Amino acid sequence: MATIKVYRFDPEQDEKPRYEEFDVDMSPGRTVLNLLHDIHYNEDPTLSFRRSCQSAICGSCAMHVNGRTGLSCSMQAKPLLDRDGYLVVEPMKNMPVLKDLVVDMDGFWDSVHEVDPFLQAGRDVPKGAYVVPKAKMDLLKIAQDCIMCGSCLSECTSREANPDYLGPAALAKAYRFAADERDGATMGRLMAYSEANGIWDCDTCLYCNEVCPIHVKPMDAIMRMREMAIEAGIESQGSKHAIAFYDTILKSGKLNEFTTANKSLGIRGMLRTSDVATKVILRWKIPEVRKKPIEGMKDVEKLAKLVERKRRRRTQR
Amino acid sequence: MVSDMNRYDVLVLGGGLAGAMAARAAAAAGADVAVVSKLHPLRSHTVAAAGGINAALAEGDSWEGHAFDTIKGSDYLADQDSVEIVCREAAAAVVEMDHLGTPFSRDETGKLFNRPFGGHGLPRAYFAGDRTGLSLMQTAWEQLVKKDITVYNEWAGTSIIVEEGRFAGIIAYNVADGTLDEFQAKALVICTGPGGQMYGKTTNAVTCTGDGLAMALRAGCALKDMEFVQFHPTSLHGPNILITEAARGEGGIMKNAKGERFMERYSPKMLDMAPRDIVSRAIQTEANEGRAYPEGYVDLDLTHLGAAKIKERLPEVHEFAVNFAGVDPAEKPIPIEPAQHYIMGGIATDNAGATAVPGIYAAGECACVSLHGANRLGGNALLECIVFGRLAGTAAADFAQKHAQVAGGAASLAADDRKIDGLMASEGKEGTERIRQELKKVMWEKVGIYRNEPDMALAVGAVNDLERRYANVRVGAKNKRFNYALLEALELKNLLDLAEVIAKGALIRRESRGAHARTDFPKRDDANWLTHSLAWQRGSRIEITYEPVRITNWEPKERTY
Repeated sequence: MATIKVYRFDPEQDEKPRYEEFDVDMSPGRTVLNLLHDIHYNEDPTLSFRRSCQSAICGSCAMHVNGRTGLSCSMQAKPLLDRDGYLVVEPMKNMPVLKDLVVDMDGFWDSVHEVDPFLQAGRDVPKGAYVVPKAKMDLLKIAQDCIMCGSCLSECTSREANPDYLGPAALAKAYRFAADERDGATMGRLMAYSEANGIWDCDTCLYCNEVCPIHVKPMDAIMRMREMAIEAGIESQGSKHAIAFYDTILKSGKLNEFTTANKSLGIRGMLRTSDVATKVILRWKIPEVRKKPIEGMKDVEKLAKLVERKRRRRTQR
Repeated sequence: MVSDMNRYDVLVLGGGLAGAMAARAAAAAGADVAVVSKLHPLRSHTVAAAGGINAALAEGDSWEGHAFDTIKGSDYLADQDSVEIVCREAAAAVVEMDHLGTPFSRDETGKLFNRPFGGHGLPRAYFAGDRTGLSLMQTAWEQLVKKDITVYNEWAGTSIIVEEGRFAGIIAYNVADGTLDEFQAKALVICTGPGGQMYGKTTNAVTCTGDGLAMALRAGCALKDMEFVQFHPTSLHGPNILITEAARGEGGIMKNAKGERFMERYSPKMLDMAPRDIVSRAIQTEANEGRAYPEGYVDLDLTHLGAAKIKERLPEVHEFAVNFAGVDPAEKPIPIEPAQHYIMGGIATDNAGATAVPGIYAAGECACVSLHGANRLGGNALLECIVFGRLAGTAAADFAQKHAQVAGGAASLAADDRKIDGLMASEGKEGTERIRQELKKVMWEKVGIYRNEPDMALAVGAVNDLERRYANVRVGAKNKRFNYALLEALELKNLLDLAEVIAKGALIRRESRGAHARTDFPKRDDANWLTHSLAWQRGSRIEITYEPVRITNWEPKERTY
């Protein structure tokens, strides 16, 4: 037997959330969901949590366990206890709690609905099935298996800072159509996704890739859409910033804050953010104006070529 | 407790693949539609279907070939006109889903890729990795979003209202706040999926409690062929997670504890690719005769496929084996055992999905047309959801156009209200979980892979006894929000009602056919039993009647593989 700590909150009765401890059988092979079922069936039937398939495919049972979100049905309890010395189960983050471990996912679904999550047929719909090169179909692989469990949104630092940001699951869904040969609205999609709260608002923290229980790579999907948007010539503050950033690195191997800010924000934009500049000056953290190229510039160039070649291979197959 | 009344032309109960396709079809036919679903559509059990969807799309294949394999697989219990409809529509169904966006796997030339499935003469299962159900479900749900169809998520149906012999509406329980509400409509399509949770070992989700089946039975619909329950041969030993048939389709081989390829004894021609009923019985026989591992499992060996092919074609199998059994299938065999997987029977419908009660339609696993007869072939269930989901949705919309709304429902709402209040107030001594566990045990042991008269008679008695004990059940949680303890009590009643139908139907059918294997009547008996069972609720009793199988082109023959 070992102790599990569970987040409890019933807004109808409780003023504020609390944690409750239960002693449960945590022998090897038992999942976090097994433990919650033990509690619900044998000790406290009021404990609420969503679950269904118990085989990591329906996406019902995502929770925040020992600091990371994942599916409780496929999380082995003992290794977590052994690693951290405790086991704490909480509801997902970035979504309001409705009862115990059940969160309100309306905001999650709203974001998904916002990206037009359905195929928009192009002009030439064949009589039979589409003929799509395998390599093109494989482009969808990093996103197509998303089970919409919400784990990525729970960990998303950009969503935490900006509740209007669409978030990783919605954007992975967006990519799944933007990269689909059969979709006829790619340009319109990329333009829409390039607007505020879209692909350029990801702060690339990588948590979404890391926690996804079925190895969807939302951040990779977002990055690919950035490339696609730049290639399509869709200008946005984000794309301008990325291009400026790339240029300055290729020049000196260093970030030139002045030229980058000028290119991505413009003079007016820079004036709008002058408070940041003031703060920088007051703290005496003024960057050098002329950047001397770093010693390993040759390697920087090699790296850039390598990345470029890899990208071409992927998109032109 | 009663809040606003919701009125539609067509209601769809259940948002899985059949439900979503039915709702889309009904909306396309001009009906005002809403889906009422215990789970968000993307949480439906459809997503657990892994391997594929059948269609005679490949060169050299024909819908007749698909139909013959299906009928033979059904042990000649399928209604052949229904099989014809599905197999003729299959190619168009797969192409339509591709046009709507399902990311089907492609071959090197960019065309749809297929693979072999058990019981089929040719490879005709189309797939998206080994997440075909998930992919098709996504596509169907995307269409609900596109067509802006209202979905009531996490509303569990409790009753179907029938007035003047016709459908009038449903009562549903809102899991989020514990309220009951009435939904009125002119027609209903029941698409609530599986009900395998009455079995101890099952690949079904915990939410698969046959709610729609039990509601339909109480509303006056017949349940057809419920004694035919499919046991999937390859579930992961222990948690009974489904290891898709595609694992064998891609070349996986089963071996017993002595390392023998035991299928050579049971199906010399098709070996591991024999239909599910035959393979499950083979494994059970190996276990009964002491050639399985002591815990009752056998090996599914994929090691010769190599890590690359396993990860490319069977990523989910790889994942499950590693995460739930601690086995890397590229290095060691996967321990597998049979588990309940599918119910061939269901709400009796005609070829348009209509039931015995005007205005009530059904499609998908909860329905029985019958496409699968006594045994379902892999890859036919997803197909059924699409083809019959669409047909039922269209027929329901048509019915709604021609008929006026039937009034009344207040009495049903009040009755369900009393039922829930009674459960909540009960100070009885019985716990739902104990009854559920006892039910699972008795159904697995007595109405399982191999059956006989004394076992099943005992099971009928035990289920009746559990039903009596259910009257004393106490719900330990009194909270309103997300009271899963109450929901489980409601679900348990459905499971008990269905278990009784299954056990009784199985006890009466004195033959072996498809998945219904009796040790005391080991032969198929076409002279007496080439018939469908129909279970009806008369008062508090179950009455079973019989009707003939519809045979068109394929005369029943001995079924060997």
